[in-house]
Amino acid sequence: MAKTEIRIGGLGGQGVILCGMIIGKAAAIYDGKHATLIQAFGPEARGSACSAQVTVADQVIGYPYVKQPDVLVLMSQDAYTQFGPTLKPGGRLLYEEELVKVDQQLPAGALTFGIPATRFAEELGRRLVLNIVMAGFFTGVTGLVSAEAMEQAVKASVPRGTEDLNMRALHKGLEYGRTAAQGN
Amino acid sequence: MRLEGFPRPLTLRDGTSLTVRPVKRGDQPALLAFYREMPQEDRLFLKDDVTTESWADRFIRRIERGEALSLVAEKDGAILAEATLYRPRHGWSAHVGELRVAVARSHRRRGLATSLAGILVKLATDQGADKIVVEVVENQVAALRTFAKLGFQQEAVLRGHVKDIRGARRDLLILANDVSHIWAAMEALVADSSPEVH
Repeated sequence: MAKTEIRIGGLGGQGVILCGMIIGKAAAIYDGKHATLIQAFGPEARGSACSAQVTVADQVIGYPYVKQPDVLVLMSQDAYTQFGPTLKPGGRLLYEEELVKVDQQLPAGALTFGIPATRFAEELGRRLVLNIVMAGFFTGVTGLVSAEAMEQAVKASVPRGTEDLNMRALHKGLEYGRTAAQGN
Repeated sequence: MRLEGFPRPLTLRDGTSLTVRPVKRGDQPALLAFYREMPQEDRLFLKDDVTTESWADRFIRRIERGEALSLVAEKDGAILAEATLYRPRHGWSAHVGELRVAVARSHRRRGLATSLAGILVKLATDQGADKIVVEVVENQVAALRTFAKLGFQQEAVLRGHVKDIRGARRDLLILANDVSHIWAAMEALVADSSPEVH
């Protein structure tokens, strides 16, 4: 693996940045790779567009900005409209299927993987863990970071007392992602 | 709702090994045996007559409807403790859970109530409860100590609200544990707001 560029997009309050941070932490701290994170916020704390750019590589990363991602993780229609066309040809789109409608604007050869992450999070008990479900889904589909590294990154990133539910959310997304990857 | 991580082993302070699992349909006879064995004095704090089959059926239906989350601790198929968290599905207190714990006299003072209540508090918190309340009679010293250990604090007193088996009126204490702060920290983490605006 030379370098993988990832963009995570959604709305403020969905945990977009934390999702990116956990992926980067898993790669850099627990899988021994290199990773960078760039975050972009809207002016409002909630509901505005926000995105995270994560780069994961085996080598030192000289340029951290993501222009044409290999992997897109999207949690809102606005994020899809904005970032969908930037996906690298043959790249992978992972999306929250009840919040994002995929159309024809994707580049040729794009692989798409949907997950009802919000519903899963609600069924687990807290809508707040949507981003952790997505992080697990990312791991299951891409295999870019190990499940063990993600588990450690989640445990190290979430508040005390919330670890169990966050781990269940991670595993829910992970299993769904592995199944989706096999079927694609 | 299917609970993950059960059945799970539980070792009491004295080394006794038990199994904790959610209550399920078919448990009615074992539940009735547990409560019928319990002295009437100990059953007075319960709001229902838990020795009747109609109660056991209603209780299982409430669990199946998601209105109650109930765990039992058992050994060799016999229930030794039962703890339930009631969650209203509608209304302005849907964020509040009400806890109740009953332990067989033979297994008290070994940390069993604390363990079961602790598991339920954790499950309730994960499932969206912001506050958990429990009713304790003023002279239930062990129960007061148990819930204090779990973070419950006295929030209200209903004077002379209960009558014990000898007819003496006693105060009923409402203890509460506001667990919303646990997930408030997570909420702040997923806010996706710029650190510069804080």
